[in-house]
Amino acid sequence: MNILENKNGNIVILAPQGRLDITNSGDLEKKLLSLIDIGEKQFILDFRNLIYISSNGLRALLVGAKRLKGEGGTIVLCSMAEQIKEVFDCAGFSSIFKIYSTDTEALEAF
Amino acid sequence: MTKEISIELANDFKELIRLNSILEEYCSLNQFPSKILFALNLSLEEVITNVISYGYEDEKEHLINVRIRSVDNWLEIEVEDDGKPFNPLEKEDPDVDAPIEERQIGGLGIYLVRNYMDDLAYKRNGGKNLLFMKKLLS
Repeated sequence: MNILENKNGNIVILAPQGRLDITNSGDLEKKLLSLIDIGEKQFILDFRNLIYISSNGLRALLVGAKRLKGEGGTIVLCSMAEQIKEVFDCAGFSSIFKIYSTDTEALEAF
Repeated sequence: MTKEISIELANDFKELIRLNSILEEYCSLNQFPSKILFALNLSLEEVITNVISYGYEDEKEHLINVRIRSVDNWLEIEVEDDGKPFNPLEKEDPDVDAPIEERQIGGLGIYLVRNYMDDLAYKRNGGKNLLFMKKLLS
């Protein structure tokens, strides 16, 4: 999948584009883990261009977050469409991830 | 109006991309709201992912049949596969209130289907799994 990558100070901003499903959530998982491998610890997942997520997409985030937990890092999320937020609420992921309305708010949280 | 569609999928995750475009077209032709398309996409991805991941013990190609029809104010969805017996209704719910350390990787799919659909029923018939799902259209 197409994942835009940016850096602001020591914060990595990843913006997956389109759909996060069984066919491509492995790409996001690999991307996250490879960045953690090279020492990155702070992540913002910017979902402004994400239109769909399934449990397979949630799984990629959980794998990354669990890895980071042991290394003192964190993933926060921002700019989520209503339908994506509903999946997070339903799966109880809104209580394990901090979710901000905008990327500015997410950056200020660090 | 296309009230009813029938889709034959191979047990290959890439088929879900084709399924997605068929669902988009079906929902658009029937003027269903985007939340219906989302629920359909999500439920079918979760169910079919399970079938492809755990249903087969050989390396052969298998077919999964999906039938969707709208009846009055309901969308009725049927998924038929020839995988080993699996009743998703018997699957235990994951703990969605657990802290991150205790969250299980996976296991959320069927839980989401239960929440996004209004009714689920399962039947094993003639060596096939039949899952019926219903979604209220408004």
